[in-house]
Amino acid sequence: MIELDNLCKTYGALRALDNLSLTIPAGELFCFLGPNGAGKTTTIKILTGLVRATSGRALVDGTDIQHDPIAVKRQIGYIPDTPYLYERLTVTEFFHFYGELFDIPDPRIDAELERNFTRFGLLEHRGALVKELSHGLRQRLIYATTFLHNPKVMLIDEPFVGLDPYTIRLIKDLLRAHTRAGGTILLTTHILAIAEDIADRIGIINRGRLVALGTLAELRREHDGASLEDLFLKLTRPDGV
Amino acid sequence: MPPAKALLTKARFQLRGTRRVLMAQSRFKIFFITAFALLFEAILCLVFHDAFRFLDNFGGAGLMMIGRLFALFFLGLGMMLTVSGLVTSYSTLFGSDEIPFLLVRPFSMSTITVYKFIQAAGFASWAFFFIVLPFISAYAWHQRMSPLFVLWTLLFSIPFLFLFAGFGTLAILLAVRWLPRSPRIRNGLLGLVGVLLVTGLFLADPPMDTLSDTQFNITSLIPGLRLAAHPLSPSFWIAEGITSLTHGATRRGLLFFAALVSSALLTGLVIERVGARTFYDAWQRSSAGSARMRRRPVLLVALRRLRALLPSDIAAIIAKDIRTFFRDPVQWSQAVVFFGLLALYFFNLRRFNYNLLPDQWRSAIVFLNVFAVSAVLSSLGSRFVYPQLSLEGHSFWMLVLSPATMPRIMAAKFLLAFAATATVSVTLIAVSVNMLGTGLAINAAALAVIAAVSLSVCGLSTGLGAVFIDLEQRNPAAIVSSFGGTLNIVLCLGYMLAVILPFGVLFHLREIGSLGAGIFRNSLAAASVWLLLLTLAATVLPLLFGLRALYRRIPVNPGKAL
Repeated sequence: MIELDNLCKTYGALRALDNLSLTIPAGELFCFLGPNGAGKTTTIKILTGLVRATSGRALVDGTDIQHDPIAVKRQIGYIPDTPYLYERLTVTEFFHFYGELFDIPDPRIDAELERNFTRFGLLEHRGALVKELSHGLRQRLIYATTFLHNPKVMLIDEPFVGLDPYTIRLIKDLLRAHTRAGGTILLTTHILAIAEDIADRIGIINRGRLVALGTLAELRREHDGASLEDLFLKLTRPDGV
Repeated sequence: MPPAKALLTKARFQLRGTRRVLMAQSRFKIFFITAFALLFEAILCLVFHDAFRFLDNFGGAGLMMIGRLFALFFLGLGMMLTVSGLVTSYSTLFGSDEIPFLLVRPFSMSTITVYKFIQAAGFASWAFFFIVLPFISAYAWHQRMSPLFVLWTLLFSIPFLFLFAGFGTLAILLAVRWLPRSPRIRNGLLGLVGVLLVTGLFLADPPMDTLSDTQFNITSLIPGLRLAAHPLSPSFWIAEGITSLTHGATRRGLLFFAALVSSALLTGLVIERVGARTFYDAWQRSSAGSARMRRRPVLLVALRRLRALLPSDIAAIIAKDIRTFFRDPVQWSQAVVFFGLLALYFFNLRRFNYNLLPDQWRSAIVFLNVFAVSAVLSSLGSRFVYPQLSLEGHSFWMLVLSPATMPRIMAAKFLLAFAATATVSVTLIAVSVNMLGTGLAINAAALAVIAAVSLSVCGLSTGLGAVFIDLEQRNPAAIVSSFGGTLNIVLCLGYMLAVILPFGVLFHLREIGSLGAGIFRNSLAAASVWLLLLTLAATVLPLLFGLRALYRRIPVNPGKAL
């Protein structure tokens, strides 16, 4: 479903991605781990078309966003770590706005609104302005809206920062349900326990290169049974440390 | 370090930081902005000077008018400053991210209020001095006054600025603290205040039967003259003070200066006291107010019908922008004030007997009105249309990742801006020509010109807004005053002059009998072609440049998207 083929991205002398190749099949929840500046967000931004790769290809369901942006955009849902939303719209107006952008018929938007707002505990906030929502409620709102157009691929940057245990559980269940239904998820996180808990496979990236790839069990086996934390620190240690 | 001194130090550091940022800018950019600003000031000065020369043609009445115009000019500026003070004080006192920072530091409420009042007056002063300088230079030039006149005016302008901006600050402090929460009662009260203000202004006009013929004509031609020249009006103090000092009547001049300074200081003192008693409660009220409000989930439900008329994504963006606009009082209040004042003036044209003036005068007034509406359009285009793409800000990712393509995003912005500005401006000019009772040809020309100006201002502002898009900047004022914003207003004003002047001059020459019917017809046809070509260029080219710039910034391949 996601295919990265010798992906490179340079910013002047800085090589943010260095021949990154990776395939994530449909129905898989893939966790991308790496220290700050390793290239995780750059990879996601290339997949969404927000950043253009210097060389290589990034395909979603066999299509490069640079060749057919509209087709790819209809298939992906992107949730950034701090989503900036339209602050002066109400929660309901925001949901409608998002649905209309994807040309979803009004009756379906209304039906999904009821269902998703109930599921995410947003019903009582439907008349609140987005700017009045707490960080957790904003995250719930962005999850509720991003699933509205049934994206096959979800790209999620740091999904659990600043959330309460209830919301974390809600989102974890949602992500699992999405992959069970055949969807693909690529998420980045710094919380190793989350990766251990929900990832089907884990990739560790450092300085733009993929330095480890496999299931949690495979990774531990390859590194003499070391914990994910130990092998992460070993593989991503800065020079001289 | 006393808290107030710390604020001054901070302001000094900020100034130093701004200077560093300016120094880091390209020299060409700074030169370009400075050259355009100077050119704009010079043109404005020439226009004012020509207006004074025009008034000379009326002999004694013209001289009387020129004398009183000075007071009237400052009265107008004072009103503008008060409105500006209202808006800027609301954003500095209640909308600034700095307030929560200051509230948890050892600052008294009065210190914060006065500090923010000075800041608001500073923001308001920019436009004030930009208009004052060319006007007084033209006045001094026309009256052959000593260059000291300009110096005295600037000196007098400072207390005048604080006095009128202070009225705005006081009004907003009291309104936020005491205005009832219920929208119905609040709107009713605001309506009542508006009615009282308008009635007060009308009452300030002289009763016609007590005036001489000349005074009758002047006061009926220039509204507000009596109020401006009233001995208790600060506009009278500043006008009299400056002319007295320029003509060597130092004592009289200093008396008026002292009146202005003491009034400004008194206003500052009142703001400090009112701030000490009300600011904290007002701030609590404004912070909690919107969260506590029971709001309907969807504002203007009828906007959902747009989907039946337009593609879904364009309808979504337009509905979002309309709702966002109406949720921000700072935005819509400025538009209402600008267009409201013009509407008030146009609806009262007959009250000033302008419809009884000779044809050449009415023809001139029609195009002066087109000029006034176009100037407001240019200013609103720069204030609201130009920054709208930048103000998508960090939320722009959502549009970029949706199937809405760049041309459609720009189309949505352009269409909304054009529909809104054209509706208001064409209606205003229709009212104006109807009130003046001018002929069909002049009415059609005026309406065509204002429609073209709306189109071009929206094209220029949307296009240049995309060329100079700044998604990091969240402050609209900073976007508007950037290089792109300045270039935009200069081009809008340039375009406006280039299309209004030919029509204004042609109709004027026809009315005074200097042009034969045949030459007039041919010249009118040429002016119409000129209008069409220039409008096309001013609308289409910026939009195309803007589109190209957006693709460069957001690198999703445009090929298929187009």
